Amino acid sequence: MSGRAFRAILAQWRAAWMAALQYRSNFLADTLVTALWVGWTIVPLWFVFHRAPERLAGWSYDESLLVTGFFMMLQGVLEALIEPNLRGLVEHVRHGTLDFVLLKPVDSQVLVSFGRVVPAKAMLSVGGLVVVLVGIARLPVAPDLGALLVAPVLLMAGLAALYGLWLLVVSTSFWFVRVDNLSYLLTSILDAGRWPMGLYRPALRAILTFVVPVGIMTTWPALALRGLMRPTDVAVSLTIAATMLVTSRLVWRRAVASYTSASS
Amino acid sequence: MSALRRVVRAFPSLLRVGLAEMVAYRAEVIVWILTSTLPLVMLAVWDRVAQDGAVQGFGQGDFARYFAVALVVRQLTGTWVVWELNQQIRTGSLSAALLKPTHPLAWFAAESLATMPIRAVVLIPLIAVIALWRPEMGVGFEPANAPAFVLSVLLAFGVHFLVQTIFGCLAFWLDQSLGLFNVWFAVWALFSGYIAPIALMPDGLRAAVEWLPFRALLGIPVEIGAGLATGPAVWSGLLVQLSWLASCAVLAAFVWRRGVLRYGAVGA
Repeated sequence: MSGRAFRAILAQWRAAWMAALQYRSNFLADTLVTALWVGWTIVPLWFVFHRAPERLAGWSYDESLLVTGFFMMLQGVLEALIEPNLRGLVEHVRHGTLDFVLLKPVDSQVLVSFGRVVPAKAMLSVGGLVVVLVGIARLPVAPDLGALLVAPVLLMAGLAALYGLWLLVVSTSFWFVRVDNLSYLLTSILDAGRWPMGLYRPALRAILTFVVPVGIMTTWPALALRGLMRPTDVAVSLTIAATMLVTSRLVWRRAVASYTSASS
Repeated sequence: MSALRRVVRAFPSLLRVGLAEMVAYRAEVIVWILTSTLPLVMLAVWDRVAQDGAVQGFGQGDFARYFAVALVVRQLTGTWVVWELNQQIRTGSLSAALLKPTHPLAWFAAESLATMPIRAVVLIPLIAVIALWRPEMGVGFEPANAPAFVLSVLLAFGVHFLVQTIFGCLAFWLDQSLGLFNVWFAVWALFSGYIAPIALMPDGLRAAVEWLPFRALLGIPVEIGAGLATGPAVWSGLLVQLSWLASCAVLAAFVWRRGVLRYGAVGA
């Protein structure tokens, strides 16, 4: 990302924050709802472990809490950043207003991907971080420094893969126009990521690792904190993220090239 | 009374138009239908829990049966009124619907019912896959429950429809009530039996859930359909649903009447 693009995005984020804080009571209410949401996300986990044996597929309740925490962080980024932007892109394509974005002297993919932000939703990520920290504190063996360094890397790789996946899906709107519900479908599949992947059958696990790589976003960072991640797994995670990013970039370029502008 | 007769007479045509619309947007509709596949994820999780032995009498076959029926009930009771109402109130397109001789809600109901054939097309392969994966799920169905199951699903559809109407009508005052509905939906997902059979919920919570409306929307029909409820439990379940249906109908009629009076007809 060039310096100019970076400054442009930063300015837009500042504006979004100021706009959100302007309606103080609304912002507070939104934040409160998000905080409730954090508690809410844990309830299914509690339901299951209430009836499950002490350890389920090698995961205790506290260890699963890590997965749920990472899932929340992911959801926060998705709802605060990825979703609003890419929904905006679909609108641009439908109305033909993408022209204005393409004309700006900043990489259009960057503008389209990060220009908007919904601050209240970002609180979900903060809540997720708190859950992860609580989970770490309750681990039987405290993670070593290596684990604490690798986990964020894996989380970032997961976020990159998620972003690539979304961009890939949304890029198809240049050809199919109406794809908003496709992102709803993706969100519902993503929901499988709130559970440790060890709970799933091998076939489903493979899908959640390579096709909709939500497993590597939530389970793998948790595995790293538990000290169960091998260096090869880290390489796999980075490879998946890189593949997603490159593929989506290529598809995006093709998509923009075939854009015909609805207005003119 | 003549208004009701008009609705009855127009309903077959409304259904036909609705079905044509659904077929026209079939890809979109199928994607929408596939968004409510949470029972499949929950089945995968609970199946793993039951791998080392039954949980409170629930074996792997029982979970497969429960969540297969949950998937069916969820689909057959699905409706989009709250989204329709929100959009039509905010954009003012409800005005046209209000001018028609049939009640707008009748049109929404027909539209929801018209999605059923497409829902069935999506459901059949999903259920077939579950049945192939866990054939033992067939044990435990109560054929005698079948008529009660159909009735229970219809009642659940009615309650869903009315609840969504109530939330949708709030948009007459708030312009946008989807946020509130999402909160309702989140509570519903936890306490209706959608993520865990109500029998497996923590004991104190279960007592509270018995008195909440969410059970009438999913848990009761699923328990009847999966053969978990038999004999008098079936009847009491239907009765609970019927009473929620009646209370929701009263409330929905009230908010609709007051709401239409407030309606600003944006864009008119």
